[in-house]
Amino acid sequence: MHNAEVRAQENTLLVVDQVGKQFGGLSALNNVSLSVRAGEIYGLIGPNGAGKTTLFNCMTGLYTVSSGAIHLNDVAVHNHKPHEVVARGFARTFQNIRLFANMTVLENVMVGRHIRSQAGVLGAVLRNALTRAEEKNIRERALYLLSRVGLDGKAQHLAGHLSYGLQRRLEIARALATDPSILALDEPVAGMNPSERRDMGELFLRLREEFRLTILLIEHDVKLVMCVCDKLAVLDYGCKISEGTPQVVQRDPAVIAAYLGGGK
Amino acid sequence: MLFFRERPRISLLLLAILLAVLPFLTSGLLGNSWVRLLDFVLLYILLAIGLNLVVGYAGLLDLGYIAFYALGAYFYAWLASPHFGLHLPFWIILPLGTLFAAAFGFILGAPTLRLRGDYLAIVTLGFGEIIRIFMNNLNAPVNLTNGPQGMDLIDPISFGGFAFSGTHTFLDIKVPAIHLYYYLFLAFTLLAILVAYRLQDSRIGRAWAAIREDEVAAAATGINTRNIKLLAFAMGATFGGLAGGLFASFQGFISPESFNLFESIMILCMIVLGGMGHIPGVILGAVLLTILPEALRYIGDLQRAWLGEVIVDPSDLRMLLFGIALVLMMLFRPAGLWPSRQRKRELTAEGEIAAHEQESLHDAQR
Repeated sequence: MHNAEVRAQENTLLVVDQVGKQFGGLSALNNVSLSVRAGEIYGLIGPNGAGKTTLFNCMTGLYTVSSGAIHLNDVAVHNHKPHEVVARGFARTFQNIRLFANMTVLENVMVGRHIRSQAGVLGAVLRNALTRAEEKNIRERALYLLSRVGLDGKAQHLAGHLSYGLQRRLEIARALATDPSILALDEPVAGMNPSERRDMGELFLRLREEFRLTILLIEHDVKLVMCVCDKLAVLDYGCKISEGTPQVVQRDPAVIAAYLGGGK
Repeated sequence: MLFFRERPRISLLLLAILLAVLPFLTSGLLGNSWVRLLDFVLLYILLAIGLNLVVGYAGLLDLGYIAFYALGAYFYAWLASPHFGLHLPFWIILPLGTLFAAAFGFILGAPTLRLRGDYLAIVTLGFGEIIRIFMNNLNAPVNLTNGPQGMDLIDPISFGGFAFSGTHTFLDIKVPAIHLYYYLFLAFTLLAILVAYRLQDSRIGRAWAAIREDEVAAAATGINTRNIKLLAFAMGATFGGLAGGLFASFQGFISPESFNLFESIMILCMIVLGGMGHIPGVILGAVLLTILPEALRYIGDLQRAWLGEVIVDPSDLRMLLFGIALVLMMLFRPAGLWPSRQRKRELTAEGEIAAHEQESLHDAQR
């Protein structure tokens, strides 16, 4: 499955170029550069407070970058509004699940189709054939996505009533509804037990194949990361200290030092 | 209740008949002043539905909503009164007036986009007062609004030569103007209800709900939060502007006093009391809060009859009861008198959830 030669020939999808982010005097990211190829599952690991989520927020438009640039398909996406980044095919989930808790599971995913649909006030009020067809498509697509992440039969449940693991899956379905080319998952298996983690790992691989996704993954679970990621980058104190295949990163002395505190 | 729920067609028909004969019933039983009150009930329903788009759907607390009512009313008065000598027909003024109010919805929305909760409430409150104070003072250097004296002799609604004034006779039935206004307002209210329902269940409505639930997540899910929030303000303002225009034509006289902060708060209370985000609840709230204060006027007469004198002034009593009602509601029905199923769930844990929580508790003990 990991056909390295084929993937190497494909184009680089996401380029993070010397990105820095300062909060007042605090430097949360320091000249971080990455490049992610299309079809890769790219892991982003590092100790707590290393700047992983900050980097996600910079990529998805929730933060402006202080320096550097981020390109998706050779188009700059840094310092754009979140919805513009989504429109270019970059979807994400959140570390602390952010669902629309009082809407149904189906509605949550339907909201994800917003950016890929058009109906305005006039369409909504007149409910003409065009709008009705669009609504039907939105609904069908949402139901399909729910079935792909293992939420069949839960469409009419309230999102907030789902169990923790299913909420994680719903967040992924909502992100998929925006037709992303790259999906950024922020600690998607945190708080799950080993068998749930394994299921999620399989889900990521399956989704990559079906939706031709590139996946960015922030995760602490070493086993999962080693299993599913094609490539890893390690952040520590806002700097990238290592990058490479899981096997290479695992043996990198700088990484071992950062995790075990040996070098400092 | 079951009878009506099982036979939706019949109950709808009965409701339609009731609404159709209501003004005649009311004037026969209670007098014409109550028909006038009915007209106001409809206007307030219109306003409450409009504000509900902003507060209930999009979750943006707007304390200056009455400003759009004022703008709609003054717009109507400018184009259909001797003040500027203009007498345009209503079917030109009302659409333009709603657009005029919507434009101000944008103007209010734009600077408040970054604000949430309390801060947004304060700014919108300020906006409401600014509009009122403008209307109060724009009689010099150019007399636009006639200041605190207000504008009068505003044209009634008229279709061609048929004006909504005096009493008309159809088939030997005397129909006073207030009855005609009732039917006109009813038509607009039904239209507003339809529009509100359709908006709620649409791509736009879902986007509003998403913003209400979690603005950051909404943005990260691809919703242009700026435009969608501006749209909520503008749509709400549209309803307010329409109601304002109708009010001006109905009343024939408007002055800045009619558009004070208290009115904004009353409309907000209708929504909160009835059930935020739920159209039937909002209508119920508007009906109750318009009719009850009038009904309470009779308390004065009752006191005189029973006690010989008026001990508690009805208008004081009104505020007292109003306060108690709100406190009781917050305690016992925090989601409003007639909340949507969704809101109810937000505020009460259902058995299913309670059981679920109990289950995980056992897990922890194991």
